[in-house]
Amino acid sequence: MPLLEGRSLCMDYGRVRALGGVDVEIEEGQVIGLLGPNGSGKTTLLNVLGGRIIPTAGEVRFDGALVTGKPPWVFGRLGIGRTFQIPRPFAGMTALDSALVGVTFSRRRKLSRAADRRREAERLLAIVGLADKAGARASELSLGELKRLELAVALSTRPRILLLDELASGLSPQARAEVLGFYARLRDRGVAIVAVEHSVGTLARVSDRLILLSGGVIAAEGPPSTVLASPRVAQTYLGDGDE
Amino acid sequence: MNASPAGLVAMAALLVLLPAAGLPPYYLHLSASAFLLATLASAWSLLAWGGQISFGQAAFFGVGAYAAALAAMHGVASWAALALGATAGAAAGALVSAAALRLSGAPLALATLAFAEIARGIAINWERLTGGGAGIIGIPALPGPTSQPRTVTYYLALFLLAATLSIFGWMARSRLGLALAAVREDAERASLLGVNPAAWKLCAFALSGAVTGAAGGLYAYMVRVVAPDLVFSSWYSLAPLIMATLGGPRTALGPAAAAVGLYLASELVLQPLVPALHQVGYALALIAAILFLPGGLGGLAGRRRNAAP
Repeated sequence: MPLLEGRSLCMDYGRVRALGGVDVEIEEGQVIGLLGPNGSGKTTLLNVLGGRIIPTAGEVRFDGALVTGKPPWVFGRLGIGRTFQIPRPFAGMTALDSALVGVTFSRRRKLSRAADRRREAERLLAIVGLADKAGARASELSLGELKRLELAVALSTRPRILLLDELASGLSPQARAEVLGFYARLRDRGVAIVAVEHSVGTLARVSDRLILLSGGVIAAEGPPSTVLASPRVAQTYLGDGDE
Repeated sequence: MNASPAGLVAMAALLVLLPAAGLPPYYLHLSASAFLLATLASAWSLLAWGGQISFGQAAFFGVGAYAAALAAMHGVASWAALALGATAGAAAGALVSAAALRLSGAPLALATLAFAEIARGIAINWERLTGGGAGIIGIPALPGPTSQPRTVTYYLALFLLAATLSIFGWMARSRLGLALAAVREDAERASLLGVNPAAWKLCAFALSGAVTGAAGGLYAYMVRVVAPDLVFSSWYSLAPLIMATLGGPRTALGPAAAAVGLYLASELVLQPLVPALHQVGYALALIAAILFLPGGLGGLAGRRRNAAP
């Protein structure tokens, strides 16, 4: 049984169709890379799978249970983590308190003592290299640090699956390499990942499977080598060549 | 607003000893009123901690006052009547939160204002229960030495304020405080991390309503009369808002200190000098806080700690 499953997912914004019947299955510990040009529906698919928006049609199942239409906090408690393309830190809170939120409210953690929760939040910040920034607020962090904090916050619920929206984009080559390292470490721990990245090469390196979205539908799907060799990729990104 | 533990203990000791030092009854009453307003300002801040702005705290104050007054008139012991006032205030807070579940910001503030007006309207029109516009008079005095009734209300108001400040301090470091801070900063993000915003916001409203209702109950015992235009007065909605904004709603002591300072300055300085305009001080304080002190005096003085997330 897939860990997270979307069936015939459709999403309409007024007369604009962002998703036009997408089927997707993510197994435990699997890394899925979502490819596609701007407006192809990648972020919308993440939003639907993560419970941020309710699809116009279709259903989402987590561990076999139907979760379509459930409030976002149910998705969070089940263990579906999420990062955002533009970091969304809790601006008025310290990095430590931000990481503490998921540690405290996730049903997947059983830390009843405040000191244990605090230690866990500190550990998460250390994992992403922000141990010395625990007392810093968002305005005091660089973009790279904010992206790391995004990851720490997403990890705070002890997720079984992470939906990562362009975690590596906008970073220096060194910071991007560190992010790729996180992908590998998370996969080693059995966390499933659905990732959107601008860099096709980056995604191909970390993914078990690639999904190419175009116009809100799946244009190609399979192992990275197969999908990248597909003429649909060149077609989608470069056009037909007839224009 | 930061305060050293030694300073707090000294302040508490001074306040406890004041009546014994022979403070005249008028000043005892004035002090009790100041403590009551400080309690209301702190209760308002309990809501503001979660980003919820209330223009209608008078609803909880009035409901608490009427609940305690009715209980007292039916022979219920004073402590039980005060507890009933707190319970009624909590229920009213929970009701407002449940009714305004999807509202935030200005629409929520206006909804609380509307609720306070509805509550006042009910108090005026439900004559058989509330005595209508004339209200309820002859509420029995609090038990204690009859020669010093002001001393009893002074200590009760001081106790209520201390309890409220303790609740605020606990809340700021608790799961409730963390959830509310996260909801205040980004409700959707908090939600995706497993926080149920509606449930925690309801808790905050109930807690704020309970404290405000308890203050309303004590007020009923202090003045021994409740009437719609008295206990549902917009003063009890606006004063906490102004005082907390000036004091810094995210600090434990700021709102209470600002409430005591503003009220005493208004009554002891402005009232004798310019009786007709003595409340202008509140307006000026609010304008000054908005223009020059976004974090209030507490934010200016503290700049740090005390108020956790």
